[in-house]
Amino acid sequence: MIDLMLGELKRTWIQTLRYPSEVIGGVVILSAVFYGIFLGTQYMAGPSATFGTRLDTVVVGYVIWSLVLYIVNDIATNLQAEARTGTLEQVFLSPFGAPRVFFARAIASLTLRLCLILIVIAIITTITGSQLSFPPLLLMPLSTLLIGAYGLAFFIGSVALVLKNVQQLLSLFQFFLFFLLAAPTEDWTGLAKTISNVMPILPSTGLLRDLMARDVGLDWHGWAIALANGLFYFALGTLLFRWAEGKAKQQGSLGSY
Amino acid sequence: MSDLSSAAPRSSGPSPSIAHSSDSPLSDLQPSDLQLSNFPGGLALESEGLCKSYGRRKTRFEAVRGVSLKIAPGEVLAFLGPNGAGKTTTIKMIAGLIRPDQGWVRIAGRDPHREPQALRGVGAVLEGNRNLYWRLTPLENLEYFGVLRGMPGKRVRSRALELLEAFGLLDKRKEPVQKLSRGMQQKIAIAVALIHQPQLLLLDEPTLGLDVEAGETVKKLVRQVAASGCAILLTTHQLNVAEELSDRVAIIRAGQIVAEQTTEDLIRQFSQGAAYRIEFEGALDAGRRQEMALLGASVKGQFIHYLPTADTTSASTTLYKLLRILEPLPLLEVRQDRPDLTDVFLQLVQTND
Repeated sequence: MIDLMLGELKRTWIQTLRYPSEVIGGVVILSAVFYGIFLGTQYMAGPSATFGTRLDTVVVGYVIWSLVLYIVNDIATNLQAEARTGTLEQVFLSPFGAPRVFFARAIASLTLRLCLILIVIAIITTITGSQLSFPPLLLMPLSTLLIGAYGLAFFIGSVALVLKNVQQLLSLFQFFLFFLLAAPTEDWTGLAKTISNVMPILPSTGLLRDLMARDVGLDWHGWAIALANGLFYFALGTLLFRWAEGKAKQQGSLGSY
Repeated sequence: MSDLSSAAPRSSGPSPSIAHSSDSPLSDLQPSDLQLSNFPGGLALESEGLCKSYGRRKTRFEAVRGVSLKIAPGEVLAFLGPNGAGKTTTIKMIAGLIRPDQGWVRIAGRDPHREPQALRGVGAVLEGNRNLYWRLTPLENLEYFGVLRGMPGKRVRSRALELLEAFGLLDKRKEPVQKLSRGMQQKIAIAVALIHQPQLLLLDEPTLGLDVEAGETVKKLVRQVAASGCAILLTTHQLNVAEELSDRVAIIRAGQIVAEQTTEDLIRQFSQGAAYRIEFEGALDAGRRQEMALLGASVKGQFIHYLPTADTTSASTTLYKLLRILEPLPLLEVRQDRPDLTDVFLQLVQTND
């Protein structure tokens, strides 16, 4: 599995960096978006407003939102691209099994994305003269958030495997994701709170806001719930992906697009 | 191009015997891996009663109906059929990419639909697919697919370089695949399919779209791969390629196998009853022409045409009678118009229409 992970890292990085102009273009666009957010903070709605108005929370909040969006779409986008280019069936000939291969791929592309974002943040802080602080404790709810996000990614990937064209669904799903990231569940009580605990990634986003915007310490009980929530949706997503793989093989549509 | 294997000559029929050469990248499967105890019946591929239908109710059609195939290590089976006959569906069922409605598959004794490890035994170059990452170089493709097929990272690089050398692509190892010719890309696709030393290689139209020289190179590679002990299931519409490369032929039509024999036997079977043509010098008088006509032969200029009956013995007897009638005129040629695989294929497909 380590060899597979290294292989995927190498493939992803080489494919991306082979044409540097594309990477530079991506960095410029991301930087422009981030700078736009910085300038227009007062007008931002949703997660940035909830996270607060400080640059730290705005930028970190946006990074997290864009990362989750990227992760959730990643497997489906990857599947569609590979089906179009004709390499998808070769991937399914791997003895590792498709879920492990696509998980390794998702991790590999996440590392690439993180590096790009770090470059962009360095550019932004240079331009604005601001300093960003990233509290290490933030990694705890961030990790549970990412685990849950990968679960959702496998869910969307499953739909892509069976239905093939999921562009419309991906667009719709962004609204759902926006709700999951922005819903102020910290204020919810009773049944609403219980529901928020079982909804995907919601417990993690609440903890993130506590740490980033409210200067509240990490609630370990809440983190345990967030971890259980993340693991549940990850397991559910991978199980669904296995089912979708079987369904696509039954339909004979694995390599179709 | 360096020799892939100094292994034994092509077998003329299904045989589990395998020869190995220690210095060939394609032949370093350990003999112990290929012992009969590892393969039930010594087979690299065994499939039985494969069926696959698509659609529901009125739109339902049976793409594959009870296809059974067996291939021994080192054997090349040409799997032929018209478009839509069920070749690709069958190949994908064998590779574990399409789930059969009925029937089963074993690759080196393992079921690819139940045991993912069975996929270590199969390599595939699928028709119409690129099979490669075009932004990666040949070496990077080989390294990546080696790892994807479960090879240890440390061994992949040396194996990849061996294959590139064997396929004559060492000098192109750092060029992105998209900048290489179609023939080179196809060679790399075959090399990628062989990176993990599979016992079974599935080749779906390996020479499609290649120029003559590239086609010849691929054919040479296929022969060498088979000589190294790897079983090959080959589909192609180029029947001369199938005839040149295959030990056996299976012809599928409308989802069913309509013929399966050694290539030689199949052609021989269809040669029975084929016409003879005798070319001679000089002039035949009317009396001898009459005698020949009574035996069922016709004379046109310097040629005698004789279409024998199905009975081989009486055909030979008649042929000798014709030659005796010709005596003492000089003979230039006596030949039977034997069909090639194309004629056999067309006869089989049209007979079953």
